[in-house]
Amino acid sequence: MEPDQIADALTAFINTNIMARGHPVRPNDDLEAAGLDSMALLKVLLFIEAEFGFWIPDEDLVRDTLRSPLALANYIRRRQSPS
Amino acid sequence: MRGADLVLIAMQSLWARGRVSNNTLLVVQCDAPIAPERIRRALDRFLGSCPWPAARLRRPFPWGKLHWAAGPPAALVPPPVRRRSVASYAELHRELEAELNSPIDPRRDPPLRFLIVDCGPEPATAQGFLVLTWFHPLMDPRGGQNLLMQLAHLDSDEGDAPRAGAPPSFVPDPDPRPLRERGRLGRRSLRYMRTLAPVPPVSPGTGLTSPGLVRFRQEGFVEDQSSARGERATREITWRLALVGKAMAGLWDRRGLPAVPFLVPISVDLRPKGDAGPTFGNWLAFHFARFSPAETADVAGLARALRAQMADAVRDGQIDANAVAMEFLHYRPLALMRRYLPAGSSGETFSFNCADLVEFPATLERLFGHSVVNAYHVPAVLPRPGIGVFFNRCAPTNNLVISWIDGAVSEEEVAQIVEVVRDGMEWTRLP
Repeated sequence: MEPDQIADALTAFINTNIMARGHPVRPNDDLEAAGLDSMALLKVLLFIEAEFGFWIPDEDLVRDTLRSPLALANYIRRRQSPS
Repeated sequence: MRGADLVLIAMQSLWARGRVSNNTLLVVQCDAPIAPERIRRALDRFLGSCPWPAARLRRPFPWGKLHWAAGPPAALVPPPVRRRSVASYAELHRELEAELNSPIDPRRDPPLRFLIVDCGPEPATAQGFLVLTWFHPLMDPRGGQNLLMQLAHLDSDEGDAPRAGAPPSFVPDPDPRPLRERGRLGRRSLRYMRTLAPVPPVSPGTGLTSPGLVRFRQEGFVEDQSSARGERATREITWRLALVGKAMAGLWDRRGLPAVPFLVPISVDLRPKGDAGPTFGNWLAFHFARFSPAETADVAGLARALRAQMADAVRDGQIDANAVAMEFLHYRPLALMRRYLPAGSSGETFSFNCADLVEFPATLERLFGHSVVNAYHVPAVLPRPGIGVFFNRCAPTNNLVISWIDGAVSEEEVAQIVEVVRDGMEWTRLP
């Protein structure tokens, strides 16, 4: 999957399971500013584990990785690419 | 009234001789004194659409569940708005502790009240403090902030229609799931809670028979922008709980308290994100963190373990089940409520309290005509566990509030806890 597709899947999950109706986030939106707290972030990490098959380690839980669905998608794409 | 609220009320029977406070404060510091008339006017308008600030706690005779009841709109008496002037922050602090220690009796009094404090040696340069005090089971901290947002909106809007578009939601929507399904989930959560503390937890308040006054300490910090640790991980409740656990393990060690596992309730805000959500009712579920004092030696490792615990609880549906159980407990008699705590009816509750009360909303950057400088919450803790550590942010300030019961913890011990947390967060103290 390309980063844009991954970002769309993440955005759809967040809007369905975390955000209030009428307050959707977009792939480039800042998730912390959108109100995602510890539990909401945990739900996103569990979604990534279920959909993409890995758990993001603590050392990668930095602001740059978690800033937006697109930033998370870029991280997931890098993890999926053979190095 | 949800399960956690009923447990709070039921816990009071442990200290029948004293009036135990269930007050919680939201303190908002503004750049100039606030006019009480503006709050009174906004409250009057608010009561026109929502009666709960003027309600009383009632139980039908001879049997029935505790509930909030309010009379017809014309008969509602608004909650009091008082004003004080003080010359220094030390005097302000005494006023705030007096607010904590004047328990609201919701059967006789309105469940909330306002205090305006003008603080400064000269009126021309004084700062204004708005103090919203409420009976904790009326609202959670987010609800308190929502109430202020609604009052601020009513204050700034002169027209008849207080709000364009959909009206704000004052209370949560009922759970649409069938009763049978909710009953199954609720019973499952109660069974799970009974497995959490095979050994009852110990707290600084254990054995305290004559609890003293509620005290608190608040300090403001800024994040060190030059810190190499640019991780969001330090903003997570698991990191903060691990740090507070480390500080508490130091207290346990100095006191010689038994090294039984810590049991700490972690509140989970059930509101969908991006919208203010309901105002009244504690709209929370609970996760119960368990770890030993020895594990706190490795804060990063403990934070990982606590995150794994929370992830397991989400995977297993325990957070959702707890939310349902909180709703279901209001069908049970108050006298039995303590049985549903993880440690059963032993009277021991949790090792300590810890919560991140998140951001003070940016929409409240101005309040009743003045700029907001800082805002923080001070929940009174019960004599058991006797201490609670609370975080919140009011950009750019990171607030750390510790509330405790005199006799359970000393001021020196609180100062040590503050220092451990400050150091672990790499925060710089504000002047």
